[in-house]
Amino acid sequence: MILPTSFPPRIEETPVLAHLIQDPAKAVNAIARAKPPELDEYGQLPKLASTFDHVDGLFYFTYAVCIFFFVLILGVLLFSVVKYRRKTFDQPAASNTTHNTPLEVVWTVIPLIIVMVMFAWGFKGCLDMTTVPQAASQNTYKATAAQWNWTFTYPNHPEKSRGAVWLEVNKPVQFLLESEDVLHAFYIPSMRVKRDVIPGRFQTVWFTPTQLGDFHLFCAEYCGDSHSLMYAQVHVVTAEEFAKAPWYTFDDSTPAKAAASGMSIYKAQCSACHSVNGIGGAAPSWAGDKGLFRKDGDKVVGRERQVVEGGATKTVVADEAYIRESIRMPLAKLVADYATKANMNAFGPDKLNDRELNAVIEYMKTLAK
Amino acid sequence: MTTQAPVLDTNKSHSEQPKHYLNCSSGFWSWASTLDHKRIGIMYLIGTGLAFLAGGLFALLVRLHLWQPDGMLFSNDQYNQIFTLHGAFMVFLFVIPAIPGSLGNMVLPLMLGAKDVALPRLNLLSFYLWLSGAVLAALAIAMGGFDTGWTFYAPYSLYTNKAVVTIGLAIFMLGFSSIFTGLNFIVTTHKLRAPGLTWFRMPLFVWALYATSLLQVLATPVLGITILLVAFERLYNIGIFDPRLGGDPVLFEHFFWFYSHPAVYIMVLPAFGIISELVSVHSRKPLFGYKLIAFSSLAIAIISFLVWGHHMFTSGQSTYAMFAFSFLTFFVAIPTAIKEFSWVATIWKGSIALNSPMLYTLAFLIIFAIGGLTGVILGSLNVDLHLHDTYFVVAHFHYVMMGSIALAFFAGLHHWWPKMFGVMYNETLAKIACLVIFVGFNATFIPQFIMGSQGMPRRYATYVPEFQPYHSASTMGAMVLGSGVALMVFYLVASLLTGKKAMQNQWGGVTLDWHTPTPPPLENFAHAPKVTTEVYDYSTLDLKSTQTPIG
Repeated sequence: MILPTSFPPRIEETPVLAHLIQDPAKAVNAIARAKPPELDEYGQLPKLASTFDHVDGLFYFTYAVCIFFFVLILGVLLFSVVKYRRKTFDQPAASNTTHNTPLEVVWTVIPLIIVMVMFAWGFKGCLDMTTVPQAASQNTYKATAAQWNWTFTYPNHPEKSRGAVWLEVNKPVQFLLESEDVLHAFYIPSMRVKRDVIPGRFQTVWFTPTQLGDFHLFCAEYCGDSHSLMYAQVHVVTAEEFAKAPWYTFDDSTPAKAAASGMSIYKAQCSACHSVNGIGGAAPSWAGDKGLFRKDGDKVVGRERQVVEGGATKTVVADEAYIRESIRMPLAKLVADYATKANMNAFGPDKLNDRELNAVIEYMKTLAK
Repeated sequence: MTTQAPVLDTNKSHSEQPKHYLNCSSGFWSWASTLDHKRIGIMYLIGTGLAFLAGGLFALLVRLHLWQPDGMLFSNDQYNQIFTLHGAFMVFLFVIPAIPGSLGNMVLPLMLGAKDVALPRLNLLSFYLWLSGAVLAALAIAMGGFDTGWTFYAPYSLYTNKAVVTIGLAIFMLGFSSIFTGLNFIVTTHKLRAPGLTWFRMPLFVWALYATSLLQVLATPVLGITILLVAFERLYNIGIFDPRLGGDPVLFEHFFWFYSHPAVYIMVLPAFGIISELVSVHSRKPLFGYKLIAFSSLAIAIISFLVWGHHMFTSGQSTYAMFAFSFLTFFVAIPTAIKEFSWVATIWKGSIALNSPMLYTLAFLIIFAIGGLTGVILGSLNVDLHLHDTYFVVAHFHYVMMGSIALAFFAGLHHWWPKMFGVMYNETLAKIACLVIFVGFNATFIPQFIMGSQGMPRRYATYVPEFQPYHSASTMGAMVLGSGVALMVFYLVASLLTGKKAMQNQWGGVTLDWHTPTPPPLENFAHAPKVTTEVYDYSTLDLKSTQTPIG
């Protein structure tokens, strides 16, 4: 018998259940994650890594008040139950007091004063969190939420990043939040910021990251199937490291590196519609019998495919020229099976420059069989 | 003349077992077409009880799945459907209708000294609307399920390819059921009070049901309209909520919470009523601050219409709206706190019987204190921006919904069970079950407070591995909680078959519901009762005759 090495046992160690994992590729731990945040000295909130320390201050103040009232209530309750427990069936109550006006005034007014303090404190904190300082508005990122990923646009760099965002430490930052489909929410627990991302309008959050490190960014508003996998890492780095634009990893110095860069572009911009497993979904697959390239001996050549051009069906070879045209002008030649549901947007040089386009084609060639 | 003698004889031989509402007629049709508030109450009890067990089963599946960070049982889609089913069943089929429908129906006319509710046919219609809603909800599962969460937030609820329109129709019907019950109770309370039963002599359960009814009648139509708009939007693309057609998804949130925040009080006020009743009876002491509690119910009913925005602090409403909503949220904490203090003060210097209804009541008082106080933490604007949509909110919500309302329902069920069925359940098992439920409940939800404050978002089918210890602890707690509930169902059902006969006044209550035979006859009272004493005046209780158990 194999004893589990961890408690609770991991699923692999639970043979009865192991087969129930639906899609190992989608497993949580297949996603790159930030390390767990350290907890603060109370073992409670994740370590604060931003300017909003009043959130924790008010949290612990309220917490202390709650503990006080809870202990008070519990104490009186337990004392009464022990002291005034009915010992004979006909025992009357020790007192028949029905009210005590001074006492009732006290327990109305004192909690009222306490909650009004909390209210004022909380509102002041909220004003800080919603009033964007000029320094932050001059360092505005865009976070685009879509089912189920995050894309980040940087203030002074043309390249976007997906699934991770880099911030400069101690520099106030504002995020402009937009959604491409349904409601999402932008939530970085260590920064104490959360804001719903709403289709059809911009929302903003701002904060100043004060600690170097990697932090979780979650989607906190339910958004459908893979809501829990809609994750991004927040990397807070020094100014020197930030200047190197670490999110921009495009490299086409060799064909292999170009193909790898092409694959990241594919995952970021193409994979939602085009598969690479030969099964066509919303759009034709890039691989398989109806794919783009095939192997002819040790050469990679374009496959023939049926397309509709200007209403007439004809056969073309899916070579580099065809692919380039189909990316830049998607409706010029439509794959026959998809002629009625074609809805791909044009990818002009602003979305995909020529070097990137070549890298994508390089990646397509690696799919040939 | 001669023919009359045998008839009288037959009556006599039958009268050894006195006629009451359960045995006065029999057969399926006598129940299906009954106008008797007590039988309708029993049917509600069975229906909402089954919905609770189904919802509970979904909850256990959710907890089992979350034992592992990658999820243990389901695909993401299946998980999303199951947590949605859990929420929708519990909220719409159990928590909202359970107390007014079952205990309210059963007890309200008895407490008022009335023969029945004012509109018995409407009462039966309410039940059938509930039943139709339940059937439609089951049909929606068969038609592909629904995965929107019980909140149906647009635009996701407009885009998903699941049976949203069907479940929407179900909720629409359940809404009408709720409105009709509320209407009925308002009329009954105004019109059918026994002679001498002035407003301030009414038991607090009646006050609570009255305040609840006002909310049901005024708030539920908004939910009905909202659900209809979602259905129209899905069917005809009218563009109220869909941003692609110029609609506004935040408008849906406003509409939804304009109902669903008062709905929280529709759910919790009857629970407050039950607890007020039980604290007094089982402490054998007049309720402390009766008028303040009665008025605080009405205050809550009014203020609760003005706090819906606190569900939307992160949705980008204006800072001034947030100011107002946060202020009113803290304000509504005060009448709630007054109730808790008054209950504790009632127990102080009482004559406390530790029988099972009282144990459930004490469990309520402890859990509700936590549920209420954590609500104060969430009311602070900037703290809420961190905790919103995390497990902290999930835990707070369950401390109020499950820990407080369901426990109050259980307390009331144990309290009125002998009155309803004329039998007593096994007290020892009841006390054990109460303890198991209390321990299991806290073990389930305390870890959720902790991981919520650390940033664990809600409605996650999978999660980052560092939360696993809390999720696993919570899952184990849920199993304990589940077995406690199973034990409770077992001994309650068993009592119907083997339970000892209950006394007329099992606990030594002084309200009118304890002045009828047990179980009550079809028309409740042989003569219209006349009320001459103040409410909860235990000096009128004949202590020798009740033989009240001391627990």
